[in-house]
Amino acid sequence: MKAMLIDTTRCVGCRGCQVACKQWNGLPAEETQFFGGAGYQNPRDLSSKTWTLLTYNEAQVGDHYDWVYGKLQCMHCQEPACAASCPTSAMEKLAEGPVVYHTSRCLGCRYCMLACPFQVIRFDWFSANPYVSKCTMCADRVLSGQEPSCVKSCPTDALVFGDREILVAEAHRRIEENPRKYVHHVFGEREVGGTCVLHLSTVPFELLGYRSDLPEKSLRRWTEPAMKPIPYIVAGLSLALGAVAWIVSRRDKRMVEKWVKQVKEMQ
Amino acid sequence: MSNLSRREFMTLSGATTGGALLASLALTTESAASPRLALKTDGTTETSTICPYCGVGCGLIVSVRDGKVVNIEGDPDHPVNEGSLCSKGMALFQIAVNDRRLQKVRYRAPGSDQWQEKPWEWALPEIANRVKATRDATFKARDGDKTVNRTEGIAGLGGAALDNEECYLWSKLARALGIVYLEHQARI
Amino acid sequence: MTNHFIDMVNADVVMIMGSNTAENHPIATKWITRTKERGALILNVDPRFTRTSTFADVYCKIRSGTDIAFVNGMINYALQNDFIHREYVVKYTNAPCIIREDFTYTNGLFSGYDPAKRAYDKTTWAYELDGDGLPRRDETLQDPRCVYQLMKTFFARYDPDTVCRITGSPKDDYEKICRHYTSTWAPDRVATWLYAMGTTQHTHGTQNIRAYSVLQTLLGNVGLAGGGINALRGESNVQGSTDMGLLFHILTGYLGSPTVPDQKLADYLERLVPKTRDPNSANWWGNYPKYITSLTKAWWGEHGTPENGFGFDYLPKAAGNCSHISLFEAMYEGKIKGLFLFGQNPAVGGPNSNKERAALDKLEWMVAADLFETDTSVFWKRPGVNPADIKTEVFLLPACSSVEKEGSVSSSGRWVQWRYGAVKPIGDSRSDLWILDALAKSLKEAYAAGGTFPDPIVKLNWDYGSGREIDAHKEPDVHLVAREVNGYFLADKVVNEKSFKKGDQVPSFAFLQDDGSTACGCWIYCGSYTGPDKKDNKMARRDRTDAPNKIGLFPNWAWCWPVNRRIIYNRASCDPRGRPWDPKRWVIRWNAETKKWEGDVPDGPWPPEEKHPFIMRPDGYAALFASALADGPFPEHYEPLESPLRNVMSGQQVNPAIKLWHVDKPDMNPIGDVSQFPIVGTTYRVSEHWQAGAMTRNVPWLCELMPDVFVEIGPALAKIRGIKSGDRVIVKSARGQMEAYALVTSRFQRFHCGEHVVHQIGIVWHFGYAGLATGDSANLLTSHIGDANTMIPEYKAFLCNVERKVVPA
Repeated sequence: MKAMLIDTTRCVGCRGCQVACKQWNGLPAEETQFFGGAGYQNPRDLSSKTWTLLTYNEAQVGDHYDWVYGKLQCMHCQEPACAASCPTSAMEKLAEGPVVYHTSRCLGCRYCMLACPFQVIRFDWFSANPYVSKCTMCADRVLSGQEPSCVKSCPTDALVFGDREILVAEAHRRIEENPRKYVHHVFGEREVGGTCVLHLSTVPFELLGYRSDLPEKSLRRWTEPAMKPIPYIVAGLSLALGAVAWIVSRRDKRMVEKWVKQVKEMQ
Repeated sequence: MSNLSRREFMTLSGATTGGALLASLALTTESAASPRLALKTDGTTETSTICPYCGVGCGLIVSVRDGKVVNIEGDPDHPVNEGSLCSKGMALFQIAVNDRRLQKVRYRAPGSDQWQEKPWEWALPEIANRVKATRDATFKARDGDKTVNRTEGIAGLGGAALDNEECYLWSKLARALGIVYLEHQARI
Repeated sequence: MTNHFIDMVNADVVMIMGSNTAENHPIATKWITRTKERGALILNVDPRFTRTSTFADVYCKIRSGTDIAFVNGMINYALQNDFIHREYVVKYTNAPCIIREDFTYTNGLFSGYDPAKRAYDKTTWAYELDGDGLPRRDETLQDPRCVYQLMKTFFARYDPDTVCRITGSPKDDYEKICRHYTSTWAPDRVATWLYAMGTTQHTHGTQNIRAYSVLQTLLGNVGLAGGGINALRGESNVQGSTDMGLLFHILTGYLGSPTVPDQKLADYLERLVPKTRDPNSANWWGNYPKYITSLTKAWWGEHGTPENGFGFDYLPKAAGNCSHISLFEAMYEGKIKGLFLFGQNPAVGGPNSNKERAALDKLEWMVAADLFETDTSVFWKRPGVNPADIKTEVFLLPACSSVEKEGSVSSSGRWVQWRYGAVKPIGDSRSDLWILDALAKSLKEAYAAGGTFPDPIVKLNWDYGSGREIDAHKEPDVHLVAREVNGYFLADKVVNEKSFKKGDQVPSFAFLQDDGSTACGCWIYCGSYTGPDKKDNKMARRDRTDAPNKIGLFPNWAWCWPVNRRIIYNRASCDPRGRPWDPKRWVIRWNAETKKWEGDVPDGPWPPEEKHPFIMRPDGYAALFASALADGPFPEHYEPLESPLRNVMSGQQVNPAIKLWHVDKPDMNPIGDVSQFPIVGTTYRVSEHWQAGAMTRNVPWLCELMPDVFVEIGPALAKIRGIKSGDRVIVKSARGQMEAYALVTSRFQRFHCGEHVVHQIGIVWHFGYAGLATGDSANLLTSHIGDANTMIPEYKAFLCNVERKVVPA
């Protein structure tokens, strides 16, 4: 099982990874303004067009002031709740690590969005035939023996890719060798049953926008039994939950509409 | 381990594939070997290039299918960047494939508020005529009792984004024209 | 760079001052963070806590424009504590040389100053000579007139309290920097110094670099792996374009441009060829006649005869300074009628944009080759002007991008690397090579019928395989150009016991001749293309094998000028017997059995004790005391032209040798006063944009990341001005004003300079009115004032004011 180790203490904030993701996956740019978040962050949030996002956080670290980076993306859970919640197996966990989705199987119900404990899955409001979308860990590359695009782009090895157990050991080694530098926790090692994206940080993970209240047990244990009978009632529920998701994401949609309008004006 | 590069991480991972495969079987209920997916770079022709942005000189690989650029990413064999790239280098694809790129010669007439598109065959002699007229009008052969042979009315700027061979030809042609106001980005 | 990017991994201490490496050279951080992982210390001195500061072990803030005070203090720290590499200093530098009795320093001025000319007579800035005409030396360094003793006195004025009072740096941080950096005086420790435009863009930019170099030399860090003075250059081929002489003052290979007194080749050589009486000085520039002759022979071939100085007489002779600021001043006065632009965008990148844009309005014609519409090529429809009032004809030529053509580019580390065309040119776009070739043919045709002084044009040696007619589909052969740049024999010739035939490529510049038998477009590139075939193109090499010393030289990857030497001044990496100061990361070493150097290509083949290592200097010594610069043999602190503070070091407020444009050409050149403009402004770049923006503000993925121009403001000033992040603000200087978003950040802190509090703000300068992402240009605020030696504009320190934009209710 492959995994990615994100050690933001090595990150220099260049955002090669953010563009690498768009380049390889053919994702368009978003129309943004000034900064969408703290520091130089842009866009405001993950979206169907932005699968990974660097955050810039000003913080006091020990006795000195610092500027620390975080990288948001799909965590590629070992036992992904999104896959368990999917009535049509459109979300699939590959043995190699990536959690991928099959658009041909997707009903557009968006249960996965609600099930995801990291809230990384986004709906493609832009499309007439919409699907959910998220980071795939560049499964196409990984299955060909290559690194994900973002990892390859990283100049300082803040992102590394390899076998999960080797990276977990490496993460612990770094903490042990530099106990004052790191928070003594490998985020993703145990959260929701463990993930294939592991984080090291010099500041508490909440500060980088990660949830600290996640259980160690897989969410799949709850979602899967509940979801088994779903294909039979899928039409009704998908409408209902779709409405919920629409309400939650309507700000996204308004932004997209504005963007479409501007693009049309440009043309 | 700390001295391992990413490249070595990959090699190391490869060396332990057997064990890792068993381990991954134990960790997941899914099938062990997923079928390879099509890559957008499958069947493309690869060409190496050097990044056109800053002066670090990173290597990139351009993948081309049917005369169209389909992918540009870092050259893993390049000893300076080892495949990595910053946001600008990573965005080179959108220089190669970009609707905003100039595709025609444009001409703006005096006082006009718009461009006209023109063919090269028209533009080159027109430019040569302007250069000759200005050079001949502003050429200074002598300054007092000294020979100076310089063109004072024409200036040249730029070159830091050009190739060496292009810079060289411009340096040569500009001096042959007698241009002394010859400058570029290195000054500012 | 004396060294190169990979070599940073060999450093024990990395100083980043005047460079924001993480933002402007992000991939360099690969090697800096890798040496940090190895245990090296990273030091960063910058007015603002940047993305570079995030991986520094010590960050120390500094008020813009005070580098010399800071570094002179470091030099003082090294001298007072004797943290210098003594043997290196004694043997390889001019520290022991005795300086004339009449050389003096008084109240900010060195001897020989003429206030009317604002220039020095440098007669007294010279060595005392012995009976043989050699500099008198005292290798005990005790003579009170030796350079070392003069330095001890001169730099003692820069004690830590005085320094921090000037720079506004916290004394603790400053002392940490001094201590860590000077620890590399030990022969087995080494530090590298990285700088960029934060250093050069000052009225004393050259002296900033001088200060860094003096310190590096005292510590014995020049010539070593992991050492050197490393200017990180900001454009993919700004090294190559400089090497190719696209500056008013130099031809190719740093040969000086002829000036009015150089009436004949002999006059030119008399002025420029340095002389030495020391048999131990290689005095490499003694080869000048070979290089200039080979250059003009490359340009005019058979028409370059002994009678016309091998073509020297065809070269224009410039009068005075024709650098960027002077050029735009001349354009503003209507003296320049026509302008060529090859990928440059001065409407955004030039200083004092209002004046430079107004100057463009006065052109009769402009020819611009670029990938996109630039702010400069659409200057006639910029906001606030009526196109009908602007009579300039504009020809905008569509140029190929780097992936649509073939050729070489030179990285900041002097690696000359070949790149290939991956796809055909899009639309009617053509390579700049094709454009220049077609232009030359058109001009040759126009002048064939006659014109003023037509000879240099009609007789110009120009045949690059594209035929006599202009063919839109026939590219010139770039390999022919590259082979001319390398150089070839014009006649059968025996040189250094080797026979060459007419037409053979010259193997290296040691074979160039001053008798007209060789042609060479750029002598420092001689050796880059050594035969008739593409396989002889060394710039295209891709062999990753490292050299035996395993310090990351990669000698068979591409090619590096000069003569594939990856670390220059590398003779200084060894003791006078040729043994490396630091055997564990040796660059070169003398093999006493084979009588040869091993490792990198040495700075000349001579045995170690035969020549002094600094071979480009006439005397062979690194110049701790230097008479070459316009503004002093030692670096001295002066305030920026616009500064909120008085100079506490002397009565001389600003660099005494700068040209005062606001006095000489006052129109549109006002200078601001602290009462109106109390805040220090500086400009800089970000990782996601590049230079004047044409190649990033038209790229959607990059516009997404950095869509708007913004001003970074510290919390204290923001509170005083009532500014919050996201507010629109107006920044004003004496030259102009701009509007931007405010980003309030603790990464900018006020400076406590003695009893004064100085606030500084920073503005991203990539923006303009053309492109996908637009915004006001920061250069609307900057001035036409430049460095005393280079006339590089003082973008990095000026006076301004910032206010929240009042939106009418």
